[in-house]
Amino acid sequence: MASFKALFRREKSYAHAVSEINFSIGEGELVGFLGPNGAGKTTTLKMLSGILYPTEGEARVLGHIPWKREPAYQKQFALVMGQKNQLWLDLPALESFILNKEIYGISDGEYKENLDELIELMDIKDILEVPVRKLSLGQRMKCELIAALLHKPRVLFLDEPTIGLDVMAQKNIRDFIKKYNREKKTTIIITSHYMEDIKELCERVIIIDHSKIIYDGKLAELINRYAGYKQLAITFNEQGVKREQVEPYGKIMEYSQYRIIFEVERSRAKDLASAILGSSLPVDDIFIDEIDISEVVRRIFNSNN
Amino acid sequence: MKKYLAIIKATWQRALTYRISVISYRIGEMFEVFFLILLWSAIYSTQDVLKGYNLREMLTYILFGALITVVVRNWMYEVVSKDIKDGTLSQFLVKPISYLRYMLFREIGRISLAFILSVSTQLFMILIFSDRFIFNTSYLYLLEILVMVGLAFITEMFLSYLIGMVAFWTDEVDGIFTTLDRLKRFFAGGYFPINLLPAIYIKISFILPFGYSFFVPAQLYLKKMDLATGLKGILVQIVWIILLYLIIKLVWRRGLKRYEGVGI
Repeated sequence: MASFKALFRREKSYAHAVSEINFSIGEGELVGFLGPNGAGKTTTLKMLSGILYPTEGEARVLGHIPWKREPAYQKQFALVMGQKNQLWLDLPALESFILNKEIYGISDGEYKENLDELIELMDIKDILEVPVRKLSLGQRMKCELIAALLHKPRVLFLDEPTIGLDVMAQKNIRDFIKKYNREKKTTIIITSHYMEDIKELCERVIIIDHSKIIYDGKLAELINRYAGYKQLAITFNEQGVKREQVEPYGKIMEYSQYRIIFEVERSRAKDLASAILGSSLPVDDIFIDEIDISEVVRRIFNSNN
Repeated sequence: MKKYLAIIKATWQRALTYRISVISYRIGEMFEVFFLILLWSAIYSTQDVLKGYNLREMLTYILFGALITVVVRNWMYEVVSKDIKDGTLSQFLVKPISYLRYMLFREIGRISLAFILSVSTQLFMILIFSDRFIFNTSYLYLLEILVMVGLAFITEMFLSYLIGMVAFWTDEVDGIFTTLDRLKRFFAGGYFPINLLPAIYIKISFILPFGYSFFVPAQLYLKKMDLATGLKGILVQIVWIILLYLIIKLVWRRGLKRYEGVGI
């Protein structure tokens, strides 16, 4: 019956995609937006680039109100979405570059200079004449970035720029973003699901969950604040261990017969390590490490719920 | 202006990468015209005149109308609705360019290649049936037809763009387009000349924008309509273009609000 009703009238439901998001970002900063799917990261980026019109609140980027969509503002920023492409798939990337050159009104000289530099940085000289649909995902993303940077934006919004890329391609894109930010002093806001991206790129992170900011500050501080713990990974030789044998030593995060991960307070990490080494357990290797940042973030989200 | 030339160029290039598609469509078009010629030849085998049309006039109507059709039609609605549905539209909202203008120039770029090929194939059809085709060489008539077809081209683009924008509200645009396309074709005289029907149909067709994409220019070509009536038709077209433009502006603004709000 419900679906029959839906033929005539569909129920609508509204939800606030973002509600309590307040922050400011200085010129040249590289800031990471973190948060689970649906937290409001992309929505925030869309608002800042003028695609969405908020029901309440305000935002200014470079002194402009984004959703007025003034060309003066549009010529100063770029938005790259990992899941959408602006390049014409059927044409070589070069054609889309030329189209952007005309759209942004870039002079011939400046265009050539920028393009040469970007091609050099990205190392993609050999794929410029290949239709975009024949490129690998990594190559395509490189071209997407070039297309977005031809007009030398002062602000760059990157929404999941490394999504779906293999580890090497991710690293390439990451290195490029890092270098570009350092050399051009372009302000960059990046969202990513990959902790590696955030760890490598961003000094500052803003964590959004349930459409609210729950952390805004240095990444290193975040780790310190939430990670009063270290993790101790112990590998045992082929004899293995039983759970009862190791349980008394501390909180077990992961257990298998041949490998155990303990979580331990920072100050106690060394003691625990030596206690285990001194025991009769068949230890093969011990490794003390910081708790993984994704684990930190996961905990923040959990404690927030 | 340069940016719009770049759009046209990119579209041309794209069409060249799909040459087999572009050419195979043309073959289908030739078949369609050929079937209509077969049908009418069969009908005229038992009579010489049907509602004022003799066989030569009917075949000329079909051949000439097919030529106009290939010039004015477009598939812009597909691109517009797709861009809205999958969010590609966002790419345009962040750039200093108007989406409507972008689409219009893209269409001009697309039509220009299809145009040359389609016009060639349709001229080829006329050549094949040249012994049964009436050649109108009156400059004034041809000039008026040219203006009318040019305006029909714009009208068709605006209509298509409007239909594409339905995607702001619903994902399902194809059904609406197909239905409208059939109605359009009927009132445009695309199935058969509307003068075969009671006079009221011609009146309706004259007021609606569709007839100018087939029936009216074909009538002019056959000199079954005088220049003054044709001129009135051109005025009707201009009114429609202004009206459609205003509707586009309105629908765009409302649609965008929705797009902005929901973030589709």
